[in-house]
Amino acid sequence: MSHASKAAEFNKDEAKVNWHDKALWYVREKRDKSAHNVQGWEYLRQLGSSIKANVLSNLDEYLVQFENNAKKNGVQVHWASNAEEHNNIINSILDKHHAKKVVKSKSMLTEECHLNPFLESKGIEVVDTDLGERIVQLAEEPPSHIVLPAIHKTKEDVDELFQEHLGTKPSGGNPEYLVAEARKHLRDKFLKADAAITGVNFAVADTGGVVVCTNEGNADMGVHLSKVHIACMGIEKIIPKEKHLGVFLRLLARSATGQPITTYSSHFNKASEGKEMHIVIVDNGRTEQLSREDFRASLHCIRCGACMNTCPIYRRSGGHSYDYTIPGPIGSILSPGKDLKKHSSLPFASTLCGSCSNVCPVKINIHEQLYKWRQVIVKEEKQPVIKKTILKTAGVVLSKPGLYNMAGKSARFMLKYAPKAMIYNKLNAWGKARDLPEVKNDNFDDWYKKRKKNG
Amino acid sequence: MGREAILNSIKKNKPELLPLPEINREAFHEVIDLKDTFKNNIALVGGQVVEIEKNSIDEEIKSKYPDKEHIVSVTKKSKLGTVMVDSSTDPHSLEHIDLAILEAELGVSENGAIWVAADNSVVKALPFITNDLVIILDKNNICLHMLEAYDKIESRDRNFGVFISGPSKTADIEQCLVVGAHGAMSLTVILV
Repeated sequence: MSHASKAAEFNKDEAKVNWHDKALWYVREKRDKSAHNVQGWEYLRQLGSSIKANVLSNLDEYLVQFENNAKKNGVQVHWASNAEEHNNIINSILDKHHAKKVVKSKSMLTEECHLNPFLESKGIEVVDTDLGERIVQLAEEPPSHIVLPAIHKTKEDVDELFQEHLGTKPSGGNPEYLVAEARKHLRDKFLKADAAITGVNFAVADTGGVVVCTNEGNADMGVHLSKVHIACMGIEKIIPKEKHLGVFLRLLARSATGQPITTYSSHFNKASEGKEMHIVIVDNGRTEQLSREDFRASLHCIRCGACMNTCPIYRRSGGHSYDYTIPGPIGSILSPGKDLKKHSSLPFASTLCGSCSNVCPVKINIHEQLYKWRQVIVKEEKQPVIKKTILKTAGVVLSKPGLYNMAGKSARFMLKYAPKAMIYNKLNAWGKARDLPEVKNDNFDDWYKKRKKNG
Repeated sequence: MGREAILNSIKKNKPELLPLPEINREAFHEVIDLKDTFKNNIALVGGQVVEIEKNSIDEEIKSKYPDKEHIVSVTKKSKLGTVMVDSSTDPHSLEHIDLAILEAELGVSENGAIWVAADNSVVKALPFITNDLVIILDKNNICLHMLEAYDKIESRDRNFGVFISGPSKTADIEQCLVVGAHGAMSLTVILV
């Protein structure tokens, strides 16, 4: 199903769409306020971008350096070419420790690899511990936003879910009550967990350590209470030196939610005595994306979600309409590289307004890449007949001034005198929720000539 | 299996080497009151902050947290501890700790974050599993921004460490901010 038809589903509930739109725009405004407080913000973005560009150009060396330093600290490092290898590695670590109960903090990579259903099929309980992720896990849905996973859910939805799964009392969707109940429920899971899985925000080549950022403290509750910590990272998470965290941690939370930094920025360098720490380094299509000159900068992404919050299409179509682990503008330039056919409608889910590129903390040229993917897609994927015909006709009309003039005249005539039902018909997608502009008698050319004549 | 394949694929696909930029610190220079900005930012992230004399720390904590029973203090600056811990303490046994008091060495003005190293908390889980958290900080140990902070902690023994900025929080239910998710429900910073 295309993005447009999934978005149409989301748009059936107008009140909800309006709320979603406004809530995310509010987050975007918080981002602006927070960014404007930082002396040298634009330079900071430039640094973030240049450091990431250097990383990609020297990625193999940095990964080996990272591995060596991590090993010196007793950390066990694993490499996975794809999702299947990633899932098998994790399963074998858990198996070795007879771990049956696992707590997981936010990791888009494990979503991408579909780790949860795999481990569940092996009889292992996996509990997502970020509140938003727990909500969508209970609802058996994927996250709809990478930073705000349950942004598509109302508080009443959460109330019902918690009644069903946590045995809470009906509260009409009282957030304080629901969070307190979730805290109790998940505390019990933390205390009983055999192993903790976390994502990685940054992996530091010159120390071999990883940094994980959360607001809830769930990564730390998991890691410090269990025997085994498994951190999963895509190869692009590497940064060269620890001091570069001073650049990226200044950018990340401000871009994501407008906070000056996340509540917890945890630096894991080695396991506690008697415990184990593992790092799984994953490719899963990333080296292929690295080979595409036009699209490799998409690997700069630090997963802040700012491009989603600002995108007029995302805000009014919802994360699920993208049908990909990473939704929104960044997801629309990452996904075609994974499966061009399946995700061919995503680069068209944009107005190309460029707002995503403007807020990106590492300056990815997202809207330009969207445009470039469109060019690849129309060459390689079959396009709908209507679209092809319209564009072909438009091409002919636009290349012939006389024809263009006549088309303009007849369009103006029709818009003025044709019955409304004829103009706002099914073919006019633009007119679905909008009125067409008031029609003037002349076009620009006529107006300009008249003006010149009248001096 | 995966390792060689991944490294070879990167070698084949990576672009020509691009330079690693030097960071021009001048671009971030600001003349501000570090302590005032730090205090404002702690309030912004939902924490409380007080500036007091060294000899009134316990008095201050008692007045802020009057009814706490299970208290862990891992700093010599407070004698309020009722539960003793050392580095071999099983973190699961801290499940019912009401209040943890610890001392940290570094605060960051730009975001109200405080660096808490494994040595500061003795048991790594302590600042997260406790219901409420008090951090004592020397008011002269506040730096401007994160780049300076990493200079200051550069030569540490790298084990575990965390920047903590405010109490734990979530806005995952309809974007309503609720303080007290999985970590500490409140944070009080005592500047001495």
